[in-house]
Amino acid sequence: MSSMQRAKQWATFARIWHIYDAKWQNPFDSSKTIAKYLKGQHKPIYHPLSDCGDHVVVINCRDIALPGPEWYQRVFFHHTGYPKGGATWTLAWELHEKNPTKIMERAVHRAVGGTLLRKGLMARLHLFPDEHVSEDLLRHVTSQIPQLRVQPRRLDSYSEEEVRDFPKVFDYPADHVIR
Amino acid sequence: MSLVWRRAVCATARTCSAMAQHKTLCTARPALVKQIVCAEEGNVTVIQGRVMPSPRENRVVQTGGGTCACPLCQLHLDIKHTDVLILSQFLRSDGCLLPRRVSGVCRLQQRRVQQLVAMAQKAGLMPNLAPSSSKRDPRRRFGFKKFNKYYDESTIRDVQPFSSAMSAR
Repeated sequence: MSSMQRAKQWATFARIWHIYDAKWQNPFDSSKTIAKYLKGQHKPIYHPLSDCGDHVVVINCRDIALPGPEWYQRVFFHHTGYPKGGATWTLAWELHEKNPTKIMERAVHRAVGGTLLRKGLMARLHLFPDEHVSEDLLRHVTSQIPQLRVQPRRLDSYSEEEVRDFPKVFDYPADHVIR
Repeated sequence: MSLVWRRAVCATARTCSAMAQHKTLCTARPALVKQIVCAEEGNVTVIQGRVMPSPRENRVVQTGGGTCACPLCQLHLDIKHTDVLILSQFLRSDGCLLPRRVSGVCRLQQRRVQQLVAMAQKAGLMPNLAPSSSKRDPRRRFGFKKFNKYYDESTIRDVQPFSSAMSAR
């Protein structure tokens, strides 16, 4: 094999590390994309038994966004396996307070499917609540998965000039008291 | 159903011309607004009423005419709850909505703005427009309110966004 062909072989079959910023993203929509990369379905050489999946590092898991009332409507079920009171239903915000990466983990766990390959795929998922990732993992990362939702900007992130100079929809009437 | 309702409303807006002020006419005298300023110097409190030109004087968008006299109907914008630069124009400094007689919008648009502002405030996108006694940082809120939320504007049932309603005309 020539050196060019060897390089192409490595580039095709190497396991790549992707990074995904979960800030202001819906974990359940993002998990579909992340599962695709974990399984290797974004590659033309994909086969479920080929072990062609990649690693995904997810940062800012603490800053995920759920639509409207889902924080107090979505419930996570857990059973200890023991009888009599082993079942608990935890609200999404309560679970997020205790462990900020758990919702993302549960979402990807579901998106990846119920096959026997799931444990290996979840082992290649690395979740972090904020931007602090150890250098051992970051040095492998070579690609970024684009965000699905646009991050909204807060009003205090705009400068006073930008707010003042933005086109106005209406002007105050005469003798209006500004409060 | 909503299309028939909108046509009926705009027809009434056309007929009652006493209510519909034509904002496209420009007046010679600029509008003067008032501001009350409280200052404490030692044990003396000075409450001053200032008359000044409007801070929005040369920034108002000039719109063409339309069936409805309200500026939002004429602008044909699809405002999202994340457009805080537009929504903040309808708020006082403590986060309260300005009434319709001040902003000049029609009843349906005022309801839509009300719901969009509620969405933006719950999402924590306008923390500086809040009462002075409130916690300005959304992360200091209690329970589920401290976490990020986003909303779907298509759940506002009163008024449809212009991209769908006006194209059907």
